[in-house]
Amino acid sequence: MVKEATEKAVPNPFVPYPATLKSVVDLTPDVKLFTLELDRAQDEFDYKPGQFAFVSAYGVGESPFGVTSVAYRREGLQFAVRRVGTVTNALHQLEPGAKTGVRGPFGNFFPLDDYKNKNIIIIGGGIGFAPLRPVITTILDNRDDYANVLILNGARSPSDLCFASEFDDWVKSPRTKLELTVDAGDENWNGRVALIPDVITELQPSPKDAITIICGPPIMIKFTLSRLKQLGFADEQIVTTLEGKMKCGLGKCFRCNVGEKYVCRDGPVFTFEQISNFIEQF
Amino acid sequence: MVADFTQQIRDKAKELLEKGTVECVIGYETGSDGFSARPAFIYESAEVERLIFDNTCSHNLVKYLLNKKGKPTAVIVKGCDSRALNLLLSEKQIDRDNIFIIGVVCPGVVEWGWNNHSDQLQIRCNWCRQHNPVIYDFLVGEPVTEGPPDDFADIAAMETKSTEEREAFWREQAEHCVRCYACRQACPGCYCIDCFVEQLDPEWVGIRIAPEENLMWNTIRAFHLAGRCISCNECERVCPVNIPLSLLNRRMEREVLGLFDYRAGMSEDAVAPLITFMKDEKLGIGE
Amino acid sequence: MTKIIGKNELESWLSGIMKERTVFAPTRVDDLILFRPVRSANEIVFDYENTNLSPKELFFPRTETLFTAVPKDGDIELTPTIVDQEVILFGIRPCDARGIAILDGPFLDEPADSLWAQHREKTTMIGLSCTKPAPQCFCTSMGSAPNDASNVDIMLTQVEDGYAVETITEKGEKLLQGVELRESDVQPPVPTCDVNIPAEGIVEAITKMFDDPYWSRLADRCIHCNVCAYVCPTCYCFDIRDRTDKGKTERIRTWESCQSKGFTRIAGGYDPRADKGTRLRQRFCHKLLYFPQQFGALGCVGCGRCVIACPVNIDIREIISDVQKIGAEVGQGSN
Repeated sequence: MVKEATEKAVPNPFVPYPATLKSVVDLTPDVKLFTLELDRAQDEFDYKPGQFAFVSAYGVGESPFGVTSVAYRREGLQFAVRRVGTVTNALHQLEPGAKTGVRGPFGNFFPLDDYKNKNIIIIGGGIGFAPLRPVITTILDNRDDYANVLILNGARSPSDLCFASEFDDWVKSPRTKLELTVDAGDENWNGRVALIPDVITELQPSPKDAITIICGPPIMIKFTLSRLKQLGFADEQIVTTLEGKMKCGLGKCFRCNVGEKYVCRDGPVFTFEQISNFIEQF
Repeated sequence: MVADFTQQIRDKAKELLEKGTVECVIGYETGSDGFSARPAFIYESAEVERLIFDNTCSHNLVKYLLNKKGKPTAVIVKGCDSRALNLLLSEKQIDRDNIFIIGVVCPGVVEWGWNNHSDQLQIRCNWCRQHNPVIYDFLVGEPVTEGPPDDFADIAAMETKSTEEREAFWREQAEHCVRCYACRQACPGCYCIDCFVEQLDPEWVGIRIAPEENLMWNTIRAFHLAGRCISCNECERVCPVNIPLSLLNRRMEREVLGLFDYRAGMSEDAVAPLITFMKDEKLGIGE
Repeated sequence: MTKIIGKNELESWLSGIMKERTVFAPTRVDDLILFRPVRSANEIVFDYENTNLSPKELFFPRTETLFTAVPKDGDIELTPTIVDQEVILFGIRPCDARGIAILDGPFLDEPADSLWAQHREKTTMIGLSCTKPAPQCFCTSMGSAPNDASNVDIMLTQVEDGYAVETITEKGEKLLQGVELRESDVQPPVPTCDVNIPAEGIVEAITKMFDDPYWSRLADRCIHCNVCAYVCPTCYCFDIRDRTDKGKTERIRTWESCQSKGFTRIAGGYDPRADKGTRLRQRFCHKLLYFPQQFGALGCVGCGRCVIACPVNIDIREIISDVQKIGAEVGQGSN
């Protein structure tokens, strides 16, 4: 029934764009930053912060990752990949020059235009920082469009902090503060040792004209959310990007749904007001 | 007599729930076709009238105890089911102190499907030599005398076929298999948190639903049950494409019986030969 | 005037088609009735309730290669699967045909699933209307009927000396070219399915009782196998994984079901539907709430296969009634 031939009438949405791995950089002991380049049709792959794509490890499978670069900088397609399962394990074995495949971009994106002139609070825990990085890049590249920026980057330990090499660039930007925190320090760490929710309580950010974008493990989000609400933040002022088990990314395999919403199509970016209205609460 | 079983079970369930001895009684009730049984979970003494016992009560309820860990639960078991209880007790999957066992001397279970009644006994009753529960706290029914030892005639009949015939037979069955895993889910011996067939690294069997993989699935499952299967045959009953799984499991059973003189689930402390090492065990087959 | 084809003429017409194309028809396989390719008309079962597995398999196979990836000259050559075989599906019941039509919703929704589209394009469906409903049937409550011809290319209805033939689509007309049909004034019987399952307003009812402990109680006896999803003509959840053999990698999709433990578990271990009750609720909300919200039709066609096949008698007809009852009570309580 199956014959090998070229593409026919309806393009097969499961076939990835061929891509080449350009460089691999260790961000943390279990997170690598991959920079890929599509082999062709680069202009078709236009994406915005918040969107995600599937990266293939042929022979094992593919997994969804938030795109951590920004399209307009044309510095390559970047993904921060944490080694945690079979596909990510296989991806971590790839060397520059390796052939891979990218499917996407999928999902909705952070409506950064709506956040103009607002105070932006960005809270990321561990690998959760990956989808937030392109938000920071865009905001800082268009600095005058936004008011104050507070970045809170937390991790289990100092070596688990993502994008440490960019911290200096971030703080150079005017009206921009960077707060770091870890669950446990090491012998070289002189910084804060505290859980992210406690840091929020310590910093007391004002909800006035503010938007908070938060991403990280569910437990971190849960507790940080309650601290933000205590400070007066309304649900529609807090935005997150949801994670779900995904296979197709196309709204077909019906695995990533939260109630009637597909994380892959209606999300992954949602405000907490939207989330509170989902019929299914996780 | 079987109608009397229903009343005894209801009375006992009521007593256990009212006294607070258990939180839940797992038994049987009549299903949506009006005459076939289905599992029932009774939490209130007022609901015990839902419980019934008849010859369509083939489900093995023991598996549900794994969802009730730490909660005092009563369960209704026939002869075969009670051996499953011993299996799970000996493998330390359930806590004896948390279960109240209502044993029922099994009247045999008939061939049935939804809305499809028959008076013919299921094939499991042909080979069953354990109508009396082997473990119980309360017994319903009078113990019966068993027939002569099982001669595994069904397995012997299979062996009269040539290798080629058997290969063709199993390949045909493997083509039917849809990997619904109903067999595994119904089986009290299959309780691994991550079944081998779902492991990705190493990938023992691929996800492809095709004869080669399906055959691997079914035969490896039979191996994992060798010396542990209590032949309740629920796996075969629940299979949507009627694969005769008893031919695999009972073949294993006969081999284990011959090699180790061992039958699964006969006592709480039994040690299944293929999953245990003993210092004094036989070193060579046929010694 | 009704167009009629005699039984013998029907069989010889089908035999003719079988010489050039693959014909799938209901056929006896041991004690099952399954859609299988048939090589002669006498393999076909004409008098049957319904097949054990639904014909969705012909459009959404239990296992299917999406594309192959082969290393070549330092690159990886990707080849999407092409479906090029013309298939005649004979003997499909109206409920199952409706199931196929409903599945066009998710599969052809942008971006369209190329394999589903190819199977649909390459398949001609000759339906066989039901003479009477089976005990498990409730098609009329779910938007279909025993003689509903809307989703097939040709519909046959049994009459005294053969079958009444209705040409529904151009594809059907093309297939019937050259076939001699008698004209008759016999009126094909109109079968009825009088079972009434209260599906009207189920979307609202199930929304109201979404958080009810009913799902948890029902899930007590569910053993979380995949039988219901696999026999169902409208279930379509799937898994995707790679398989490599002799250097060639295939990205394969297979049936999977929301009932299996681990369906929603992500690497790292977090599982939002670890609880049995939430998984069972997911199945029925998909069919009776999310699917109609998105595609305008209930995700159930009333074939009753799940009712027969479920090892523990989880019965969607009972559930619909229960949901209506509980939903109504919730409505009253909230006033």
